[in-house]
Amino acid sequence: MDILAIERVSKRFGGLRAISDVSFTVGENEVVFIVGPNGAGKTTLFNLITGFAKPDEGRIRFRGADITGTSPDAAARMGIGRTFQIVQPLRNLTVVENVMLGAFLRTSSTAEAKRKSEEVLGFLKMEPYAHKPAIGLPLAMLKRLEIARALATGPKLILLDEVVAGLPTAEALALAEILKRLPEWGISAIGGVEHVLQVVMRVADRVVVVDHGVLIAEGTPAEVVHKPEVIEAYLGPKYKDRIS
Amino acid sequence: MKRKHAILAAIAFGVFMLVPLVITKDYQLNILFRVFLFAALGVAWNLVGGYAGQLSLGHAAFFGIGGYGLALFHSQLGVSPWIAVVLAVLVAVGAAVVIGTVAFRLRGPYFALATIAFAEVLRHVVKNLEITGGDVGVQAPALFTTSVSRSFYWSAVILTAIAFGIVEWAARSKFGYYLMAIRENEDTALAVGVRTPRYKLYAFLVSAALTAVGGALYASLFLFIVPDQVLAIDISNEIAIVAMLGGAGTVLGPIVGSFILESAAEVFKNVFQEAHLLIYGVLIVLVVLFLPEGIVGAATALWRRRRSE
Repeated sequence: MDILAIERVSKRFGGLRAISDVSFTVGENEVVFIVGPNGAGKTTLFNLITGFAKPDEGRIRFRGADITGTSPDAAARMGIGRTFQIVQPLRNLTVVENVMLGAFLRTSSTAEAKRKSEEVLGFLKMEPYAHKPAIGLPLAMLKRLEIARALATGPKLILLDEVVAGLPTAEALALAEILKRLPEWGISAIGGVEHVLQVVMRVADRVVVVDHGVLIAEGTPAEVVHKPEVIEAYLGPKYKDRIS
Repeated sequence: MKRKHAILAAIAFGVFMLVPLVITKDYQLNILFRVFLFAALGVAWNLVGGYAGQLSLGHAAFFGIGGYGLALFHSQLGVSPWIAVVLAVLVAVGAAVVIGTVAFRLRGPYFALATIAFAEVLRHVVKNLEITGGDVGVQAPALFTTSVSRSFYWSAVILTAIAFGIVEWAARSKFGYYLMAIRENEDTALAVGVRTPRYKLYAFLVSAALTAVGGALYASLFLFIVPDQVLAIDISNEIAIVAMLGGAGTVLGPIVGSFILESAAEVFKNVFQEAHLLIYGVLIVLVVLFLPEGIVGAATALWRRRRSE
């Protein structure tokens, strides 16, 4: 069964059509990447799914239930975790304390939240940083901290906005190896990336390409990169015929 | 709380409770009462202003409700003074629900302005109603009739200890984590499932209840209150400044802040006469410029840096 279904969703901001009639699904334990140039509408899609924005048209279903226009905190409680493009750790708290903030969604016990957080930090290979202050972490670890906090909420689906943006290639690939193991935890994922396609090729089961708010291609990573529409969106129309 | 800290806090509490054995003059005990009263108020304010990051500049409303509640429930309903305190606290909590529900729809400076507006409206209402005695004010009943100065001092120390205990517990629990998340980034808090309006309101209610107890103690010590004194914006500011000077968002900060500010105010009043407000103002500007995290905040940061080197 599909864990998430986006059905003909549209969103306008004033005169700008940020998302136009987009539909796609995410299956159980599936990793789907939304790929598109800057401003294509990836973050808007994430905001629509997690309740930070409400669609003008269309429906969003999560595990069969209509969650269109739900509130962000309700979406989190239902099992949709997310990270933000701009990392924002809690100052003055250590890494493990930051992750505990997420773990408190499923428990009120500080000890249990800590245990869960340490487990998540282990999965993300962050144990050496667990008791360091979150402020002053290198960017790669801040990105992982965002993921750790979202994972600690015990999600069924996790949305990773620009998860590897700004990371050196080696870091990005290391993170990709970790993300590939998300289905082991029974978690589906939607990743958003602008151009680090090496990561997408390694991790994604399926890719959805958006450009100017319109879904222009969908398929396995290998299929999608050869589609003329995708080449055109990234490289411009004159490359469309030359490559394909 | 770490065991070592708990023992230290217990020792400090014991020492402060024994102070009246050494200091016996009413005048000095009354200054110390004020130090601990504002320590308690600062700690209570800190839950909303420091941990949740919602700058309330209208806590005089709850302080005044505490004082007027004590006076009016006693004189109008004839209940005993301590029952009147309990009823006053309930009214303050009710007022906090109303103020919070409205004001928490606003963020940042707009929230601060809304809290000022509520407190000012309340002051004007109290000034103009007959039952509250208008401008003239009302008489408040005595909570203690023997060893008066000592008893008020002890009450203020105990109120500080209670407020400290609540905030210390909160800072280590889910509640405190959620408040800090709201302060740092409300979107992050929402993304991990925090019902942000509800948690802000919880913090506000606890804070209002403790502030009302403080207001009742103050009114009972002076036996007479007027609106321009207990509902004045000066009270709201003083509560916030005590917490910010010591360190907003730290458990110990407001207590340290009150010791410094209240004793400095006392010294300045005697030495500089009318110019004391000017010096008070300069002190605040210096803290905001050079110690934005307050004294305890800056000291903690320094200590952490030393240790990690």
